[in-house]
Amino acid sequence: MSVSVMIVDDSKLARIVAAKALGQLQPDWQKVEAGSAAQALELLETEKVDVALVDFNMSEKNGLELAAELRAMRPDMPIAIITANIQDEIISQAREVGAAFIAKPVTSEALSGFVSGAALKLRTAKA
Amino acid sequence: MPELRESLNQDQLRAVLAAAGASGSWDWDIVGERLYVDYRFAELYALPGDDLSAGFETSAFFRAIHPEDRPRIRIAVAGMLAGAALFSKEFRVISPSGAVLWMHGRGQSHLDEDDQPVRFTGLLVDVTERKRTEERLRIAQSAGGVGTFEYSDGFATVSVSSEFCRLLGLHPADRLPVRTINAVLCEGEPLLIPEGSQAAPPDSLGGEFQVCRGEDRERRWIARRGEVLRDADGSGYRLLGVIYDVTYAKLQEAALRDLNDTLEHRVAMEVAERRQAEEALRQAQKMEAVGQLTGGIAHDFNNLLTIIMGSVDMAIRRTESSADPRIRRALDNAMKGAERAAALTHRLLAFSRRQPLDPRAVNVPELLAGMSDLLLRTITEAIAITVDASDEIWTIEADPHQLENALLNLAVNARDAMPEGGALRITARNRSLSDTAAASPTDPGGEIPAGDYVAIDVVDTGTGMDETTLGQVFDPFFTTKEVGKGTGLGLSMVYGFAKQSGGGIQIASRPGAGTCVSLYLPRSIAEAEQSSDQLIASAEMGSPSETILVVEDDDDVRAYTVGALRDLGYGVIEAHDGASALGMLARHEQPIRLLMTDVVMPRMSGSELAFLARERQAGLAVLFTSGYTRDAIMHGGRLDEGVELLPKPFTMKNLASKVRELLDR
Amino acid sequence: MTPEQVELSELERDALTEIVNIGVSRAASSLRKMIGDQVLLSVPSIEVVSQSRAARLISEREVVDLVAVRQDFSGPFSGRALLIFPETNSLELVRAVTGGELSAEEVLEMEHEALAETGNVILNSCLATMANMLRRSLTMTIPEVLRGNGAMLFEVDERGGNGGLVLFLYIDFAVRMRDIRGYIAMLMDIPSLATLKELLDEFIAGVVGDDA
Repeated sequence: MSVSVMIVDDSKLARIVAAKALGQLQPDWQKVEAGSAAQALELLETEKVDVALVDFNMSEKNGLELAAELRAMRPDMPIAIITANIQDEIISQAREVGAAFIAKPVTSEALSGFVSGAALKLRTAKA
Repeated sequence: MPELRESLNQDQLRAVLAAAGASGSWDWDIVGERLYVDYRFAELYALPGDDLSAGFETSAFFRAIHPEDRPRIRIAVAGMLAGAALFSKEFRVISPSGAVLWMHGRGQSHLDEDDQPVRFTGLLVDVTERKRTEERLRIAQSAGGVGTFEYSDGFATVSVSSEFCRLLGLHPADRLPVRTINAVLCEGEPLLIPEGSQAAPPDSLGGEFQVCRGEDRERRWIARRGEVLRDADGSGYRLLGVIYDVTYAKLQEAALRDLNDTLEHRVAMEVAERRQAEEALRQAQKMEAVGQLTGGIAHDFNNLLTIIMGSVDMAIRRTESSADPRIRRALDNAMKGAERAAALTHRLLAFSRRQPLDPRAVNVPELLAGMSDLLLRTITEAIAITVDASDEIWTIEADPHQLENALLNLAVNARDAMPEGGALRITARNRSLSDTAAASPTDPGGEIPAGDYVAIDVVDTGTGMDETTLGQVFDPFFTTKEVGKGTGLGLSMVYGFAKQSGGGIQIASRPGAGTCVSLYLPRSIAEAEQSSDQLIASAEMGSPSETILVVEDDDDVRAYTVGALRDLGYGVIEAHDGASALGMLARHEQPIRLLMTDVVMPRMSGSELAFLARERQAGLAVLFTSGYTRDAIMHGGRLDEGVELLPKPFTMKNLASKVRELLDR
Repeated sequence: MTPEQVELSELERDALTEIVNIGVSRAASSLRKMIGDQVLLSVPSIEVVSQSRAARLISEREVVDLVAVRQDFSGPFSGRALLIFPETNSLELVRAVTGGELSAEEVLEMEHEALAETGNVILNSCLATMANMLRRSLTMTIPEVLRGNGAMLFEVDERGGNGGLVLFLYIDFAVRMRDIRGYIAMLMDIPSLATLKELLDEFIAGVVGDDA
């Protein structure tokens, strides 16, 4: 069964870039996109989501808040915060909600650690 | 990395680094916190060189750096360790020998996949010499007013020197935005530095630009010179150049260009001016020729008149009263005709300016009355003439013939100023000037010293003159009349006469309001000569013991003169030229009392003769006779002291009184 | 109280230059990753100038139409960061970051959004690096895309600045192969400047230690 990844970013370009980087690592994974935290929460109702890539810098609700809510709903889901805001403070906040931190711009190299970790986690969860 | 160093032969590395001009290299292992250096670095920093591969504490990096530069370098290195990409710093290193060397450290950071810096490597280059050169260059640039700039295409800013900023009137900075620099350019000027998407690099940096300086908005010219350096791969370029102020040169150039542009016009002006001068010269030459001619004619004419008048004179005196009164009348008429002819030659001489001044006491009203005839003939009927001179008018000291001439000149000018007719008024009045009348712009006549004068005003109702014309009227050759019509000498002669007579002239005029010329002539202390005929007093007779030597080249004139003098009772000897006269002077037993000589004679002139004669016989009285006179006996228009002149033609009466006067001195 | 005059010492300027350098290096590295080409940077120019002079400098510098991505930051020190490039470069930049995968229509459609994201990545990495170096955290606003002339972009008086001093930072960047050029500029107001000075002193003390 294929893995489904939700990419949450208010920038379409950022979603394209992230999807592309992800596609290079895991061509078979399904991708669903959300342009805001609210959209992400809706998607979660209707779609199967195994992994979440969440942009930090979004209007209304920022990525860390969304990640915290996701974590509350899905304690085992691999979540990564994606942002160019590489402040130590943000990184530690990401850790607090149990999310990985990936600096923008997203490259497949930067993503590879998180993706392979997530793949392993999903396999072991199924097993 | 240690591996790299091991794989490279030490000597090879040394050679490479030496070729690169490096004084050392380092490799800072950020993760392992060790500093690896080459042997040059170790030597320079006095680090133990026995086991370089083991590396050193990272603090060793700062140890040899000059204390003043150390904080700066620590900050820069901290930046590198935190992820800054490039390191490029200049700092001083104190070598083991104690020498202070300027080093340029250039390095770069090496990042891992997560953009975390792991190594910091670089080279040290000794730039001590360059620093000195730079200092010299900096001084040369500021002293020479040369500003430098370096621009990499694509950047929005330019690296500049402070002199560069100063030249453009901008706040001193190391970097200036391209637009800030180009903003000082005057409108329409090409860009000093290429802007933005102007992709093509300039062919050269030569050029001159007009700028409006930032701080004072002063317009200046700036020259740009330099080189366009293309990147090896041809993708980009750098501009490396200087600017300097060329305003002064530009101004000179503009002045020169202006000079060239107006050259044609100025040449035309020069030519016109020259033509005018030539015309004036031609006029003067014509005048000179006419003068020569009239002078010559007058001279001969006067000789003839002397004979005629002398002869008529003698005939009258020999005619008994009982004789036919018609004979007497005829002789009187002949005399009058001769006198008029004499007056005419006199005027001719005045015209040719060969008339010496012979100032005498003159009765102005009488003179003016005597002129009315002449004026009426000269001035057209359309002009009403009024002459107004009361009997109270003082006697003046002036040459009456010249005064007549001057007044006639002024009258003719007045006439010419009234082509449509008008009124001419000549008035005489007494004027006492307590102060010197100063010259003024509107009255170019110049100063008239304080004193008593008779002012004769010649006033017309003619066209008048503007200030410019007024300023020129006394210039010789200035004339408002067409060339060929006037002599251009009229007013200047009048002016010269007035000055020469110790007086002056004032002129007032406005366009359309007529002209008033006032002639000031000094009051005479003597009373006017009686012009009425007088019988020759017996006192004017001579005695045979009073010997007079008459020298005259014209035989007829000599015969008349000798006859007249003998009639007056004098002893007379005669000579036809200077040489024989001097011979007689030497041979004659009796002393000669008076030398009476013509002025103009071939070979030896009258004045030369007089000079030589006086050398032989000191105190010898001399009387010149002349139809006209030359500078030989005149100085400044007046006769020399102790020299008397009897103008030809002379009457017996004039001759008698002049000779007697001289002998009785 | 707002200090009348804040002057940075030579060492403080060095430190600030270095910190900006680090931030910009990081930003350049981000840009390089986005477009895959070498990005060239100039040495940052840092000026502490009066607000009126800054306004004049800006209007002097910027006369043509520009595109800018603006991001305000606040925290111990606050201000505004801008990524600025000529309007003519804007589509080229979008084309570069989208990697030639989009059609011309899509590029046009996405221009605004792509610019915002590019600015977001570059300015964030720069500011965040600076915050990390000074061991403080900053809050960044959502990036905003602006078009206009320089004076309008900076709007130095917007926050009621009263003619005091501002810190004006200026770094050129160019992507030669793509004919993209622009610069990053930062403005900080006076209270921020005073705080920044303190933070710089802290940083210097940490780095230089006994050598200061």
